[in-house]
Amino acid sequence: MAPIVGIDLGTTNSLVAYMDRGVPRVIPDPDSGPLVPSVVSVDEHDQVLVGKAGLERLVIDPHSTVFSVKRLMGRGIEDARQEIELFHFPITPESQQVIRLKLRRQVFTPPEISAHILQRLKSNAEKFFGEPVGQAVITVPAYFHDAQRQATKDAGRIAGWEVVRLVNEPTAAALAYGLDKRKQGLIAVYDLGGGTFDLSILKLKDGIFEVVSTNGNTHLGGDDVDAHLIALVISTLKQETGVDWSDQDQVVQLIRRAAIEAKHRLSEQEAASIGFDLPDAKRTRVEIPITRTEFENLVRPVIERTLPPVHRALEDARLKPEEIEEVVLVGGATRMPMVRRLVEEVFGKKPHTELNPDQVVALGAAVQADILAGGTQDMLLLDVTPLALGIETLGGTVAKILRRNSTIPASATQMFTTFVDGQTSVDIHVVQGEREMVTDCRSLGRFKLRVPPLPASMPRIEVRFLIDANGILNVTARDVRTGAQQSIDVKPSYGLTDVEVGKMLLESFEHAEEDLTQRLVVGARHEAEIVIRATEKALAGPAARAISMPERRRIETALKELKQVLPAASHSLIRNKTDELNQATQRLAAMLMESAVKEALEGKKLDDLK
Amino acid sequence: MPSISGQDFFAVFGLDRRMNLALADLEERFYTLSRKLHPDNFYRASKEEQESSLDQSARLNDAYRTLRDPVTRAEYLLSLEGQPVEKKGSGVPPELLEEVFELNEWLVEWRAAAPEPAQSAHRNEVRAQLLRAKVNLEKRLETFLAELQTLFGRWDQALAAGGSQPDRAAIIESMGKVLAKRKYLQHVVSEISPVLEGSAAR
Repeated sequence: MAPIVGIDLGTTNSLVAYMDRGVPRVIPDPDSGPLVPSVVSVDEHDQVLVGKAGLERLVIDPHSTVFSVKRLMGRGIEDARQEIELFHFPITPESQQVIRLKLRRQVFTPPEISAHILQRLKSNAEKFFGEPVGQAVITVPAYFHDAQRQATKDAGRIAGWEVVRLVNEPTAAALAYGLDKRKQGLIAVYDLGGGTFDLSILKLKDGIFEVVSTNGNTHLGGDDVDAHLIALVISTLKQETGVDWSDQDQVVQLIRRAAIEAKHRLSEQEAASIGFDLPDAKRTRVEIPITRTEFENLVRPVIERTLPPVHRALEDARLKPEEIEEVVLVGGATRMPMVRRLVEEVFGKKPHTELNPDQVVALGAAVQADILAGGTQDMLLLDVTPLALGIETLGGTVAKILRRNSTIPASATQMFTTFVDGQTSVDIHVVQGEREMVTDCRSLGRFKLRVPPLPASMPRIEVRFLIDANGILNVTARDVRTGAQQSIDVKPSYGLTDVEVGKMLLESFEHAEEDLTQRLVVGARHEAEIVIRATEKALAGPAARAISMPERRRIETALKELKQVLPAASHSLIRNKTDELNQATQRLAAMLMESAVKEALEGKKLDDLK
Repeated sequence: MPSISGQDFFAVFGLDRRMNLALADLEERFYTLSRKLHPDNFYRASKEEQESSLDQSARLNDAYRTLRDPVTRAEYLLSLEGQPVEKKGSGVPPELLEEVFELNEWLVEWRAAAPEPAQSAHRNEVRAQLLRAKVNLEKRLETFLAELQTLFGRWDQALAAGGSQPDRAAIIESMGKVLAKRKYLQHVVSEISPVLEGSAAR
């Protein structure tokens, strides 16, 4: 039987590894070796190209190609505004709580893009073992919040994986590091990847890997270094030739590629040059020389942004930097001599550099996979949740129920009751973050607690918030008087619902290329059916009374037209009509939102009066 | 799988309600139980066993987190003994009145000085005073912790000697008072930091 594999789903590259008789090994990709570029592109035949093939298309066809999609996982449009500006993601206007990216005629959510990468790794593993491989441990940045974790899990499911565990990247690295050495004592893992930074402090003792504290920044990494270099090249060209290339995506990607090459050379040598051919008539050659010192001065602000999380993690662990016995470097960006110097300055000791910073996370994931499979038995990982968990109370303040760096699984119970006689439900809003006000925290989800109609403050509902070993929240509730359990479905504030994920499932690899058109039609139909159902429901509801007759007629016409094209075999036709219906119902949707908000506010006022 | 559900946090570790805990021993017990209960060991087990392991290891972690820290340990003891510390703490403790009053004056001054240029001498002065007041209050927090430690010693003695119920209730009550004062002070201190940081960013 094929083993459970370990996957590092990285911002820049992804890897799959497995445990080979006690030694973790990476399974190579036929095109690109151990590292699969985390790039997805759609070509003119609507073919999805992943990895090296996708990367090659980045400079030819940047508008149909996505890289660094990890930066968008589990985030809403407002939340990701900065990244979108920096990385020119092809966002569609429908992006709200879930971002949607348009590559040619197809629309993808970030989990779907990631799923294509994960599917490539699946096919690599299946070719390697010569049999189906279904179970995987996938790594995530330690500082990922609930929605980002959930989005990663969704991506796995869409790709056809059973995601048996999410493991934090620095922790996975520590597992790989500690495997052959049987280390004891306090270690720090400094993990600077393509788009995320984590600092975790672990205590290693007799095979137990206990995470003491973790901190980080999920929007900081090598990508930001590249962005500074690109900006430098663009402004240099503008000064010298008067031409501004910043809105020419193809040129920007050429610059990006040259800048990354120069960045890599500058880790080995004192000077390099950013060189490429402009795609103008004369194919003008550009060479911009840069010394390591100049480079370091340019990107120092990026690297120094890793310091506050380092200090916060130490503070939470109640440790001084000199008490850390070993420092492990993870992530390609830690190859920069400047990063190594900075880490050495902070901790007062030379960091370990003998591990391959690109592979160590995937290798550690394979170790964790083997632990779960029962192969490795003397090692145990005790990880923590990176952010505090809280619930909204009156006045928009947050009541903390679980503090950050709590060992997971972790739980907290809260008792809820009612404010008015006969009240049958209580709305609960769960947030994640360190601040006092709800607006400063990240909304995680909402749910309605069902309460038996009794005089005010009589009901006693005990709610248990449980963060599982994946760092994902589960909620259960129990009526203390009757002992009746109720299942709680938390509506995520960001991210896909279970039903949506179910509809996105990718065909298994063997059929993937077979019938793309059919898949597109099916996808378009599903989406259309959702919109039709929602519209019909809204038209029947009270909010519809607030719209004018002509508007109502417009909606009904669009609805009828969409229903007519539904059996057609053209996905673009179905999509066009779906878009038209969406357009027509925009105001209606706004009304629905408003009345829902109003209802919620009125409910609250009643509560306040009591 | 051993079962720890329904046991209080002390019993989870096979301990009586002694307040002076050897942390190394507690850690050892925690690791031993983790190896038995953690979900990693039950991935291939039945769904019921998986759920039970998730449930129990969460409870184990909650217990360890609570007992490891002297303040949460004391709060937990109080809740077991039926005297939970009030959530918000109780008003200003008389012996802190003067310090808290002074701090509030500096806070008012600080807000009044907000429109002044960031580096004005007056602003810097007020800032320094606020920081000084904060350091003083933090020292007070330390002394509360020391008071708590003394009470821990008395509690453990009473426990070992099979002390009478009124004796123990008196100690619990004293602990409750210290914890309430400490909680109040902690709240005050936590409010200063954002005020100072918010101004630095301006």
